[in-house]
Amino acid sequence: MSEEGGSALIENLDCKGAELNRFKTLFALTKTILAVDDFQTVLNNLCFESAFFLNARGSVIRLLRDENLMLVAQSGLDVRIMQERKIGEGLCGQAVAKKITTFFNQKEAPDMTPSIEGIQVGMGTPLKIGDNVIGALVIVDKMDEQRNIIPFNDDDRIKIEDFASIAAIAIEKSMLLEKAIKQENEALRAQKQAETLRDYLQSLIKNSSDSVITTDLGGIVTSWNDASENMFGYSREEALGGFDPSVPNFLSEAEKHYLEQIMRGESIKDLETVRKTKDGGIMDVSLNMAPIKDSQDNILGVSRIGRDITERKRIEKDLMRKNNELSRLLFISSHMRGTLELDKLLRMVLTAVTMGDGLGFNRAMLFLVDDKAGIIRGAMGVGPANHDEAWEIWSRLSMENKDIHAIMEEIERSPMSKDSRMDRLCCGITVSLEEDTILTRAVKEKKSFNVTDVMAEPLSDAILIQQLGTMAYALLPLISMDRVIGILWVDNLFSRKIITGHDMDVLKGFTDQIASAIENARLFEKIARTEQELENIFESISDMMYINDSNYVIKRINRAVVDKIGKKPEEIIGRKCYETFHGLDSPWELCPHHKTIVTKKPYVEEVDDPNLGGTFLISSSPLFSKDGSLSGTVHIARDISEMKKLKDKFVAVERMAALGEMAAKVAHEIRNPLLSIGGFARRLEKKLQDDMRDQARIIVEEVRRLEGILNNTLSFVRSSVTERHEVMVTDLIDDIFTLLEPAINERGNVLIIDVEQPLLLMVNYDRLKEAILNLISNANIATQNGTIKIKVYSRSTFEEPDLLGYTAENREAVIEISDTGYGIKKEDLDRIFDPFFTTRPTGTGLGLSITKRIIEEHGGRIEVDSNIDNGAVFRIYIPLKGGSHEDTGGR
Amino acid sequence: MKILVVDDEKNILKLYKAELEDEGYEVVIANSGMEAIDLFHSENPDLITLDIMMPGMDGIQVLRQLKQEKPQIPVIMLTAYDYRDDFSVWVSDAYVVKSSDLATLKATIKQVIEKKS
Repeated sequence: MSEEGGSALIENLDCKGAELNRFKTLFALTKTILAVDDFQTVLNNLCFESAFFLNARGSVIRLLRDENLMLVAQSGLDVRIMQERKIGEGLCGQAVAKKITTFFNQKEAPDMTPSIEGIQVGMGTPLKIGDNVIGALVIVDKMDEQRNIIPFNDDDRIKIEDFASIAAIAIEKSMLLEKAIKQENEALRAQKQAETLRDYLQSLIKNSSDSVITTDLGGIVTSWNDASENMFGYSREEALGGFDPSVPNFLSEAEKHYLEQIMRGESIKDLETVRKTKDGGIMDVSLNMAPIKDSQDNILGVSRIGRDITERKRIEKDLMRKNNELSRLLFISSHMRGTLELDKLLRMVLTAVTMGDGLGFNRAMLFLVDDKAGIIRGAMGVGPANHDEAWEIWSRLSMENKDIHAIMEEIERSPMSKDSRMDRLCCGITVSLEEDTILTRAVKEKKSFNVTDVMAEPLSDAILIQQLGTMAYALLPLISMDRVIGILWVDNLFSRKIITGHDMDVLKGFTDQIASAIENARLFEKIARTEQELENIFESISDMMYINDSNYVIKRINRAVVDKIGKKPEEIIGRKCYETFHGLDSPWELCPHHKTIVTKKPYVEEVDDPNLGGTFLISSSPLFSKDGSLSGTVHIARDISEMKKLKDKFVAVERMAALGEMAAKVAHEIRNPLLSIGGFARRLEKKLQDDMRDQARIIVEEVRRLEGILNNTLSFVRSSVTERHEVMVTDLIDDIFTLLEPAINERGNVLIIDVEQPLLLMVNYDRLKEAILNLISNANIATQNGTIKIKVYSRSTFEEPDLLGYTAENREAVIEISDTGYGIKKEDLDRIFDPFFTTRPTGTGLGLSITKRIIEEHGGRIEVDSNIDNGAVFRIYIPLKGGSHEDTGGR
Repeated sequence: MKILVVDDEKNILKLYKAELEDEGYEVVIANSGMEAIDLFHSENPDLITLDIMMPGMDGIQVLRQLKQEKPQIPVIMLTAYDYRDDFSVWVSDAYVVKSSDLATLKATIKQVIEKKS
């Protein structure tokens, strides 16, 4: 309806007064309603129209919300208005509470606080729809023509009540409309959102690289996306309406189980399983399964999102295998680098190659190339001899559950045993490098071979086929420093497993690792052998050998040093050499070693070392480090004491021989005239009488004395073949005692005879008597009012061990003649046995040399110990049974 | 009993001759090795005492010749010093070191004669 139309209606109606007002009201209201744009405008219009309609200053509308009356619109009022009024409060509240039109006049109720500031009169009426109050309309300050405020009257009440009844409907309708529009808008928006989501999901599903499949609860496929087609090869048409064709048969039970889980509302995440493809392949997938629910949470079907993880799996597996292999190789090679024993190393290599935990071949052999002999020689083989043994070994190994680490360590620890049949077979194989076979080619061409069928390979080594029964094998050269040092041979006779390219790659990596280790071990073995030889030489040399550092600290010694020093090696090594060898606190000036340290030059010198007790020929050589500085010294010391003694003895013998020669001549020249003198004197002595006879006897006696001296001399010169008899040493001493007793007594000496045991000697009685007599006689001359002691005892001596290490035990008699006399000067000790050496003015100087000669004639020796003023001890040693009884001969 | 005494010292020969004749022996003396051989042939002695050290032909050479010609002839070697290491001396029957006391020599002569007879 248009406004013009409305106006025409009013013009045509013939009505007056209240009737007209009502119409006006209705018209205004209709206008208001028709003018509606929105709810708030309706309310604002209602306010304005009502105030205008009643000639009032303004109006407000409050609507009931949550038991309170909220200001929703006002018109013509520019004063403060309370937003909220309770029911029964103020004009508005009373109107609502009483559900009737209420009046207000400031003059009549001055204490009342209107919600609208400063109003004088007002009238409020409830807005009702039927009996239901929805709010209130309040009109304030009615004005007359002169704009004076006048109170509302009953006519006004009717007007507002009419207006309010229509206004309420208008408000109600307007509210409903507003609500409807709001709802429709929301519905539209929701629909739009849903559509967007669906589009998104659909494109997602369509374009997803993951397979998205839905099935109903029976497992029948209800959707099958492009990715599913691509992944599994089944087209949508093939898949829809049947069971998921990508589930392999062997997983159908598992599939049922999963479906049950889904029906219980569970979902399955990241399940790694397999799916089959149309072409029969198997694909690793990661699967997410979830229930499809309707809005009431009923489970309608199952969604499966599958992702092809074949590649990932493959990479993963590859990575793991590579990692395994790498760690295994690293482990093995670290072990192998640590092992320098060739045999053990070879055993490790072969074990690594054959163990299930290692490279897993059935049998393995190592050949080493002998360049000098021009052959390839089997060095070691590992593997079962036959099928039975193979199973036995494998089951045992799996029972023992030893890993490769444990086995490697076991090999390293335990002694090597080479007794397996495979090992024997292997060691029996030699192939000449001149032959043209796979083996020799591997060496010559530095190439690996994988012989998959020995029958089809004309160059297969016949020896391998015959001896090992191999059907297929692989071999790889071991290359160290660009030279083939050996060959690793493997086969899988028992498992018949084909040796793959991958196996070859792994073996290649392995051989690269081990070749240098084997070469090292080989070189080491060679060096070790050489070293051992040197060590043996070093140890077995009978001369003392030792090595010092430049600080006189002993670094190495040989057996001879240990024997000589008589200490354990650890008590010698690390000590200063001058302490150990010379018993000094600082280096010995005379030692050639000291000189070498000072001058850095080698010395060879003969040194008398009182500490070691002997004479040594010492060679001392400097050792230089790479930078040319002196790092130490090498010593060889030979004990030449014996040699020196022999030499001294030899010199003495020479001297005596010369003397003897002369003595013999002198003796001869003197003896003959003496003989005549003495002989004729004896004749005269016999013929003459009295004084003359006595005088002749003097000649005879003097000649006898001279001849005695001569005989002594000759007795020294001659060492006659003397007969020997068994002589009780006690008899001998008794005899001497009887002879010397007067002389001993004369000098006030006491003779003590101490015979520990009655020894039976094999000697020439007279000669030995002469020797002992000489000694006791000397002792008697050297001693006055002292003691002379003869002691007789026996003792054991040991010969040098013979070739069989047998040490002969000999016994010797010791006759010890000691006195308390004036002793022998130290410088004289060495000379007292020399012929014609004497300290006595009347001595011939032959007594002791004769004594010595006699003792030596009996295979014995004589020693002297003396200090000046402290007496002397002579010891005669004569071998007892078992000793030498042969004549020493001589002149 | 004829004894041939051989020595290069005439005084010794004189002493031996006197002493041995006192003992009742017939004594022939030779002043050298050569003379000893001659007298051995001409006198045919029963026993010979022989000085070893003589100029010219020495006692050992004489001994060898005597024993070659007549192995049974007793020979007593006389010497100023020990010659017993000389093997050829071993073929002699006795060995006496010269001394002004002829007792040993005389005893030895007796022993040798007794052994031979």
